[in-house]
Amino acid sequence: MSVDSSGMEPPPLPSDGPEEPKHGGHTRFELELEFVQALSNPEYVNWLASRKYLMNPAFVAYLDYLQYWSRPPYLKYLTYPTATLRMLQLLQSERFRQEILVPDVAWQLRLEGMKAAVLWHKEG
Amino acid sequence: MDKELDGRFERLEKALATMIDSLSKNNPSTKLAQDLVAAEAELLEGLKLLEAHQNNHARIQQLRQSTEQADAQIKDIISSLWKMRQELTSVQTSPIPKGAKFQFTTGELLDFARRISRNTLPPPGVTNGVNMTPAAARHSQQPSSVEPEDSFRVTSQSQTQTPNTSFNVSFNGTLVDTPGPFNNNSTPIPNAGPANSQNPHTELPEHLKLATNPLHGASFFPWPSVEQVRSGALGAYQLLVDKGIDPRGYDPEFEEQRRKDAEREAEERAKQEREEAERRAREEAERIARQRELERQRARESMAAAAEEGRRDSVVGGPAAGKPKQFTFLGGDDDDDDDDD
Repeated sequence: MSVDSSGMEPPPLPSDGPEEPKHGGHTRFELELEFVQALSNPEYVNWLASRKYLMNPAFVAYLDYLQYWSRPPYLKYLTYPTATLRMLQLLQSERFRQEILVPDVAWQLRLEGMKAAVLWHKEG
Repeated sequence: MDKELDGRFERLEKALATMIDSLSKNNPSTKLAQDLVAAEAELLEGLKLLEAHQNNHARIQQLRQSTEQADAQIKDIISSLWKMRQELTSVQTSPIPKGAKFQFTTGELLDFARRISRNTLPPPGVTNGVNMTPAAARHSQQPSSVEPEDSFRVTSQSQTQTPNTSFNVSFNGTLVDTPGPFNNNSTPIPNAGPANSQNPHTELPEHLKLATNPLHGASFFPWPSVEQVRSGALGAYQLLVDKGIDPRGYDPEFEEQRRKDAEREAEERAKQEREEAERRAREEAERIARQRELERQRARESMAAAAEEGRRDSVVGGPAAGKPKQFTFLGGDDDDDDDDD
């Protein structure tokens, strides 16, 4: 696997500038937006861990690079903001990257996420 | 003030002394009496002045007191302000990231809220198996010491069971209980029976309530599902890689457009070729028809010549009398051929 995005600039916003080069019919912005949101699914992250992606230094650098989604002006494009931002934060931790490999941790994360989604607005 | 008042007293006393003196000497004088009256009037005036003075003094004292109070208050306020300021400066502030500030409008904010709401808030009624009844009610319903954490787990697992499980359990439960009343048939209980139930409202039994709720067992996920991930742009990217196509710079839409264009072009070319072939065939047919026409013309001419010859022969009384019949028949066929063209 080769991830050459470390040290790369975040992609330009959709409305900015000239036509972007496309990868399989999608711009880098679209692909990275989809990927960072896919990461919010604990099952998917568990699958990535099982494929040893999370141990790859290049992939870890890519996860670090993806943090630009937690800042404006990219932040507003997230449609699953809560889970995405939390997972992005968790994925920066070495320990979490190791522990998410355990199916029980992924399952617990899933339960907690579902529970939080239902309960957070009940408290207020 | 005191001096002035003392002076007036002295004058009054002096006037009174001279008056008494003159009276004791039996030599009263009106002038002395008038002096005395004037001195008294002066003293009275002085006393009034003293009263005003005393009032003013009291007022001054009062004002002084109130200014002191106000001063104290101001001091208090200033000291509390100072303390507050100290507190404020000692509060740890969270670092604000420096850089460009992003302005946004209310419209944008509402748009964002509308976009994310379907992914952050479950639809009404979907509880992901979490017991949403208030804590007090929950305790009365479930006297067992099940932790909230565990109860969530239990209910969420029961989701995966078939919807009929709860029904079967309660059904079996009643089956176990029913022999009792049947055995005690000889002693009928007057209050037994559903007609005398305590609840005046008509309610479905608990196990059927779930069956009528279309959202029962529905789960809400605050993240994209695995299917969504699989069918997204990244999935399409992976498919291209699997096919051996380098996705960099490859646009399926553009390729599709190019393929369609090529197809249309090929179709057009085929159409043109077909038209060309048809035209050629038509020309060929026309040529053949013209040729045939020429041949017929020639044949007709030769026939006419032959007929002329025959007539001459018949006039002469030649032996070839059947020939003209044959020629007439061919002439009729000629007309048919013309129609075909």
